[in-house]
Amino acid sequence: MKNKAYSQISEFFRATWVIMLKDMQVWLRQPVTLIATVAPAVILILVEILGAQAVGRSPVALVVQDSGPEAARIAQAIRDANVFRLQEVDSAQAQVLLKNLDVVAVVSIPAGFSQRVVAHQAATVDVTVNNLNLDFTNDIRRAVPDAITRYYAAEGDQSPVKISMDEHDLRARDIQLFQYSVLPIVILLLIISGLITGGNAAAREWESATVKELLLSPVPGGAIISGKVLAGFLTSFCLGMLVLLAASGLGWIYPQGIYWLNATLVVGLVALFGASLGVAIGAALRRIMPVIAVSINLSFYLFFLAGGMGVLAFEPEWLQNIAAFVPLTYGTHALQMALFYNSADLLGRDVLVLGLSSLAALALGTVMVRRGMAK
Amino acid sequence: MRTQGIIYQLHVIWACARKDFRVALTDRLFTILGLFVPANILIMMSLFVLAGSKAPTAVVMQDNGPYAQAFYQAMSRAHSFSLQITSATEAARKMAAGQIVAVVTVPPDFDTHIQLDQPVQVGVEINNLNTDFTNDIRRAIPLSITSFYAKAFPNLVNVTTRETDLYPHDTDYIPYLAVSILVIALMMGGTLQAGMASAREWENETIKELLLSPASRLAIMLGKMLGALLVGVGSTVVVLVVLVLFLGVVPEHWLELAGFTLLSLLIFNSLGTLLGTLIKQRQPVIALTMGISLPLFFLSGAFGPISFTTPVLQIIAKIFPVYYQIVIMQHAFHNFSLNTLGLPGNLLILGGFAAGLMLLVTLVLQRSTMSH
Repeated sequence: MKNKAYSQISEFFRATWVIMLKDMQVWLRQPVTLIATVAPAVILILVEILGAQAVGRSPVALVVQDSGPEAARIAQAIRDANVFRLQEVDSAQAQVLLKNLDVVAVVSIPAGFSQRVVAHQAATVDVTVNNLNLDFTNDIRRAVPDAITRYYAAEGDQSPVKISMDEHDLRARDIQLFQYSVLPIVILLLIISGLITGGNAAAREWESATVKELLLSPVPGGAIISGKVLAGFLTSFCLGMLVLLAASGLGWIYPQGIYWLNATLVVGLVALFGASLGVAIGAALRRIMPVIAVSINLSFYLFFLAGGMGVLAFEPEWLQNIAAFVPLTYGTHALQMALFYNSADLLGRDVLVLGLSSLAALALGTVMVRRGMAK
Repeated sequence: MRTQGIIYQLHVIWACARKDFRVALTDRLFTILGLFVPANILIMMSLFVLAGSKAPTAVVMQDNGPYAQAFYQAMSRAHSFSLQITSATEAARKMAAGQIVAVVTVPPDFDTHIQLDQPVQVGVEINNLNTDFTNDIRRAIPLSITSFYAKAFPNLVNVTTRETDLYPHDTDYIPYLAVSILVIALMMGGTLQAGMASAREWENETIKELLLSPASRLAIMLGKMLGALLVGVGSTVVVLVVLVLFLGVVPEHWLELAGFTLLSLLIFNSLGTLLGTLIKQRQPVIALTMGISLPLFFLSGAFGPISFTTPVLQIIAKIFPVYYQIVIMQHAFHNFSLNTLGLPGNLLILGGFAAGLMLLVTLVLQRSTMSH
């Protein structure tokens, strides 16, 4: 009796292993699909890195037409503000740069500036801005007054500006935009890979009619589902961990000790969620092409709804409320806490939501596969 | 004799186009997805655009004097904040819940300090999630301080900015980005339909009949591209309806829009046909098309002129037609000139892309064989 139970369990695991191995081999034999799964995440990360230098630092031409001491001081404040990529040129060159879209704005310190400041007359810093896009325009509108504040701050106690900013940051370290974007992209990679691999593994059996052989074999139904989910899980998990290791090697994330374990757990749960949902979609649609189309669309929707390319706190409240129902939101949060701040803040909540979502997706996958088998 | 030949080839083109159009309509789920993919992209990207324009910020007014009020007004004009006045407790709760990203505290003795010309500190607590967003807040507070002094003490703080804009009105995030999104939506729709139609012939082995028929390969290719173009026009109409009716982004030059859309579809249909003929399987064609679209969107100057970004990205962006398409579409919608090539220069390059891709497809198809 005991031997029979042991034999059944052993048979279950063997079947799961064989099915998983077969699906992974099929996955590896499709290099274009493999590339298409990995490409969005890798290229997005590369684009973020290559563009990081320009983020928040707009190209600006500085024209100093006054040779007095106050003009020199304000020009220095503009340089020190470190918010522009400055080119110091004369007025004619500045106009050419503006016309050729080499700079967003021309900041001019007009002749007579120093005299006006000393005489307590209104002295303006002239800004000509190419306002074709509010993103760049507002950056300039904020940055020039920032430099003016620095100019006054340099006067110390004599400064007429008595208001200063007492800044407290909620988090111990600042994170650059490209670093910040890496983690949602890892989540995107996990979900795309899980959905496509799991979905294709399931749909392929129906499309090539091999599901008949599987059904007629003495393999338990649970082993078929487990094998397929496991194939999707392992491929996604390995891809996700590879990207995280690369990011750690490049110094973009700062995990230490136990927080590697937290991150691994979260990556695993998101991969399991994606693979289980993929199997459910594959079993429901039973054709590879609709599976791919649905998977990629769904992945991008989930990615954007979870605040993939922005910061959720900046989104309107209705979008934040929707994001609360997207499991990827919790995956991104848990990874940010573990990998940027070495913190387990709300880890319990995040793991619980991801765990329950994975279980729900697994249950859905099981129902769909069983329903498909019954037909 | 020659006229008959031309008529025959035109007949082939039309027959191929009609067949592909009909086949596309038979695969219902995929057609629906294909037709709405561009609209989907528009909606998804718009979600991204919703963030980032204004930082949700709580202001704790511990002083309600006239200077404190004036400072609050200066903050509200700083192009950066979405302000709400709350108590300190409420602000802390909202910060912990992630509903706001900054708390600005105007201290109780703010007015007194200002009147006595004494230093005063405004508390600013920032959820410094990433520097791009955080720095906007860090710079917006000085802007508020400068604006406050410029209004309250124009004689004391006399250095201010005088802004001159190149365009009569500002263009907001969504109207600007929606145009770039339209281009990437056209890319996805056009490449997908044409790629599917070509790969399908290889997958079903019906390409044998086509290659063995007396029809010229050029006519076959043109027919397939025309079929994809017809479906692509359908997708474009869906996107334009969303763009014009729901987002209120109305093109300034409708004729340019029509012409540029057709040119874009021609390029993407050629690209799709090329991918389908080379890869010969629908599955990788779909995955590849969808997989490269999002990165290309970020790469090709979707957010602003690429001359504002880094030189490496500028070089890479110029390799792909998407960059030039964004430039001409921004002209059609907003009358913007985003590079120094001018409309003829950009159109010439895009014409080159179209001709080059069509030539490449013809060559690949000429050399294509299928084992029996």
